[in-house]
Amino acid sequence: MSQSMSQSMSQSMSQSMSQLVGSTTLETNSDPNAYAVQIRGLNYYFGQGDLRKQVLFDIDLDLLKGQIVIMTGPSGSGKTTLLTLIGALRTVREGSLKVLGQEIVGLSRAELVNVRRNIGFIFQAHNLFDSLTAAQNVEMAVELLDEWGDKRQKAIEMLSQLGLADRVDYKPSALSGGQKQRVAIARALVNQPALILADEPTAALDKKSGREVVTLMQQLAKQEGRTILMVTHDNRILDVADRIITLVDGRLETDDNLENFVNTHDPKSLDRRMFMM
Amino acid sequence: MKTPLAWLNLVHEKTRLLVAIAGVAFAVILVFMNLGFLGSLAKAASMIYSQLNAEVYLVSPQTLEISTTKAFPIERLYQAAGIAGVERVMPLYTGYLQWRNPETRTNRSIFVYGINPNDPVFVSPEIQSPENQAALRRPDTALIDRLSRPEFGPQTTGTVTEVDRRQLTIGGQYTLGGGFAADGTLIMSDQNFRRFFDPFPLRLISLGLVKLQPGADVEQVAAELRRTLPEDVLVLTRPQIIQRERDYWIGTTSTGFIFGMGVIVSCIVGVVIVYQILYTDISDHMKQYATLKAMGYRSQFLFWTVVQEAVILAVLGYIPGFAISLGLYELTLRATNGGLPIGMELGRAVHVLLLTIGMCSLSALVSVRKVIVADPAEVF
Repeated sequence: MSQSMSQSMSQSMSQSMSQLVGSTTLETNSDPNAYAVQIRGLNYYFGQGDLRKQVLFDIDLDLLKGQIVIMTGPSGSGKTTLLTLIGALRTVREGSLKVLGQEIVGLSRAELVNVRRNIGFIFQAHNLFDSLTAAQNVEMAVELLDEWGDKRQKAIEMLSQLGLADRVDYKPSALSGGQKQRVAIARALVNQPALILADEPTAALDKKSGREVVTLMQQLAKQEGRTILMVTHDNRILDVADRIITLVDGRLETDDNLENFVNTHDPKSLDRRMFMM
Repeated sequence: MKTPLAWLNLVHEKTRLLVAIAGVAFAVILVFMNLGFLGSLAKAASMIYSQLNAEVYLVSPQTLEISTTKAFPIERLYQAAGIAGVERVMPLYTGYLQWRNPETRTNRSIFVYGINPNDPVFVSPEIQSPENQAALRRPDTALIDRLSRPEFGPQTTGTVTEVDRRQLTIGGQYTLGGGFAADGTLIMSDQNFRRFFDPFPLRLISLGLVKLQPGADVEQVAAELRRTLPEDVLVLTRPQIIQRERDYWIGTTSTGFIFGMGVIVSCIVGVVIVYQILYTDISDHMKQYATLKAMGYRSQFLFWTVVQEAVILAVLGYIPGFAISLGLYELTLRATNGGLPIGMELGRAVHVLLLTIGMCSLSALVSVRKVIVADPAEVF
């Protein structure tokens, strides 16, 4: 009963949405292999029964391979939820969600785990094991591939690229906030995932370390052709993006390249919105 | 090599690790002490029979154990003497007397063996020494066990005290040990036994000892005895009578139940301590475990990590627990003057190690649920 109601509700909403989103879609590409993520008609709900609340409304979104996309929007708009759905961390029931060419709607939990192994996750908190050294924390990711022989070498290589060559055997307690976040990035990137999902990676960092971390991510993505989807409130780092999408109240509101975004978002009005979040 | 996550997580928090090891060691010590008492009970039951100079034993079917016997006619013993392969038959009389400590004048129960002085009832050569043999033949004289508790007073030869309103002189000493049933023991001649236990008729005996000729087949002679003797006596070989006594002490009395309960309670204590430690560890690492899940690790991996931590705690706790238990066994042995034959056995050591690992794994199973249901979406 409630399902049919919400379906009809979402249908009426999708009509108004498709006009909005369709007009702002940047690129179109008929080759499905060119996309890292393809989302069609995605709805998502929290809770069950009477408490069921829709948080994402009819999302259509394509992420081209090699793009750096920043997703922004007020708190509670569903950014993180969308990120966890793309990351195969939640089960999707409505719509279509293709990650790296694989449809993940309807996959079992065990199959979702396999999808996750091709995705690099960077969290707001570094979530490193205090008991492991920087290298060991990164090695935990390499071990997922059942590669034991050169795992330390791989970890050290990755940490060196992030400027931590002299810190590989330090435990997190002996590293600064920026260094810890860089270790976490090394852990996310060491298996060379095609898709990297980052949730507020700079939130716990000062301006300088935040900038460093983002620049490193940008460099690595450009070199290796990786797709990055980053959720952030931090408008100091918007310049790394190829594309900026805004999510408001569970709907895609704008989808723009950097130039347009800066032009259409007057700094003053942007600031006011930041306060409301 | 795989990163030893379980080990590194445990050693990272030194204080917590020490508390956990102390907790497991504590449980291990409790288990060892309970099993030690239980084992010494069984050993004490068999100890007296290894001191008796006979291969086959006759007892009344109503006899529970050596200190709770029902007397039966001595004729059964004479009948047994006629069977082929029997070298000698010897009666043994047993009972309790009230021994008065000559210094403090307090009374205490003492266990008494009555023997025919001409019979080599005990293996110990000490009892066969000319002085002791002479003493046994004197009226109102008895030999006293050196392992009797100190509460029985001085044991020097010539000490005179009162036993059940009759004067008794200590004629000598021997070493035997009373086990669980007795704090102290005396050996006296059957004639003296008759005096102290008046009106005890010597034609009723507590235990019949059958010594076989060298080379005789014990099972065969025992079978022949069973066939010949009426059913008012049981014919038991040495292993059989030892087993019967063990079964009595462990199964029929509440002793076995008490120590068995002790083992269970100790295990529960161990499970709770290890559970607390593992649960705290998991709670502290919830974000990291969820991150591992997001990276693509399966719940199975996290499950085994927690089980590994539990097994490591089990082994680390077992080592000091084992060492301290050895010390406590020695202490118990000394405190009871060797009367309680408590000691470490290889089988027990292995069993307790397995029990400890099982106990810790159980805690792991109880606490691991939290990490299994950890939702990787929650760490964002």
